[in-house]
Amino acid sequence: MPRKMPTPLEIGSVAERQFRITWSDGHESVYSWHRLRLHCPCARCKGEWRYRPAPLTAADIPADIRAMAYQRVGAYALRFVWSDQHDTGIYPFNLLRFDLCECPEHESSQSSRSPQSAQSEGQ
Amino acid sequence: MITREAVLTALKDVKDPELHQSIVDLDMVRDVAVRDGHVTVDTLLTIGACPLRETIVDSIKAKVSALPGVRGVDVSLGVMSQEQRQALIQKLRGGEASPRGRSTFLGPESATRVIAVASGKGGVGKSTVTANLAAALASMGHKVGVLDADVYGFSMPKMLGVSGRPTMVDQMIIPLEKDGIRVISIGFLLPDENEAVIWRGPLLHKTLTTFIGEVAWGDDLEYLLLDLPPGTGDVSITIAQTLPQSYMLLVTTPQAAAAQVARRAARMAEKVNMELIGVLENMSYYQPAPGADPVFIFGRGGGAELARQLEVPLLGEIPLDQSIREGSDAGRPVVVSTPGSPAANALRAAAERLVAVVPLPAAAVR
Repeated sequence: MPRKMPTPLEIGSVAERQFRITWSDGHESVYSWHRLRLHCPCARCKGEWRYRPAPLTAADIPADIRAMAYQRVGAYALRFVWSDQHDTGIYPFNLLRFDLCECPEHESSQSSRSPQSAQSEGQ
Repeated sequence: MITREAVLTALKDVKDPELHQSIVDLDMVRDVAVRDGHVTVDTLLTIGACPLRETIVDSIKAKVSALPGVRGVDVSLGVMSQEQRQALIQKLRGGEASPRGRSTFLGPESATRVIAVASGKGGVGKSTVTANLAAALASMGHKVGVLDADVYGFSMPKMLGVSGRPTMVDQMIIPLEKDGIRVISIGFLLPDENEAVIWRGPLLHKTLTTFIGEVAWGDDLEYLLLDLPPGTGDVSITIAQTLPQSYMLLVTTPQAAAAQVARRAARMAEKVNMELIGVLENMSYYQPAPGADPVFIFGRGGGAELARQLEVPLLGEIPLDQSIREGSDAGRPVVVSTPGSPAANALRAAAERLVAVVPLPAAAVR
């Protein structure tokens, strides 16, 4: 079997300045709202077959963006409702845990990565 | 001397035949009066046209007259008001705390094991396997439900021999039941069973979420088997996105073409964090006569090889047998119609392995 997908044990509140997840593997992740929105994995933001939009840049996202709500999707993902009305992105736990985490440990290993390299599977 | 309390205690054992819960717990018993050994039970039915009203009356009478000192039993029937029905629905959905429109097994503490039977390739006998596993689990004493998620190609009504129209209690659908298996299928809701379902994805999604969230499966349900359509399309995605916890069982034939497609279904399970619990190989071989050499029509060992690659157990190898097809066409799964046949034995053994791989939580063992 491939490695077991980490799942959130504790999820922070959308009312906080940063989003936090404590994972089943013990890792504690932090995220900035702006960067989470920037990496939205939905087809509208990331493109799909025969639709290749220009990648989102920091300038496309309102500086004060934040999630108004989130919900769990099945056993594998979170879905956010953003303050810019966007809500089609389904963020698989693997994406959140391994690619988008901004804790100091991840930051050092990922600073060279472009947003595109964190692209998830199509939804 | 017979008391009101003794009667109520006895009535706790009387279950509503459709809702599978005690009529006392469902607040269907409005009043109990005892006079000189004569007992009058005032009962409220969920709907006036309840098709099983006689069953309820008979079970009440049987329970109460068995009490010492009871000389006669009268049952009066009323019908719930709109508010009383709403309260009942609330209860069926798992109490006030649970969000509106959610089955109890959508909660993280649910004891129900939800197992999606998937294949990738079509025509490998997924539905036949689902029907037989359900029948085998029921015969082992488990509370089993079957959700026919193959909306376009539904076959559970035919294979399990269930027909009719489910009772609706307001927005809640009561599954049909036969031989201890609770079943819901789009086939029960169409004008007639030959009607074709020609829908696009959004309607499929709505149907599936209704079957999951708006059907009163009963909180005593132990195993819910989902008969998935082939492939990894709309239905599979809806299942993956709706259920907080579920398992996948892969059905394949021995041939490489089937095993290869089945591997893609396994890949989906991995992506959506559904636990793959095993592979069941169907149509493994044909034995022309007892004692004759088996003929490996679809090749050999594909299921075992797939299980090895995926690092999950092989739950069984089911031989080709005419009795399987006959049982499915007659609405009596082969484990019921021809128990003791090699095919029935293999399917039953697979059901036993399934229970070993996905045991019920200790709390659910009653």
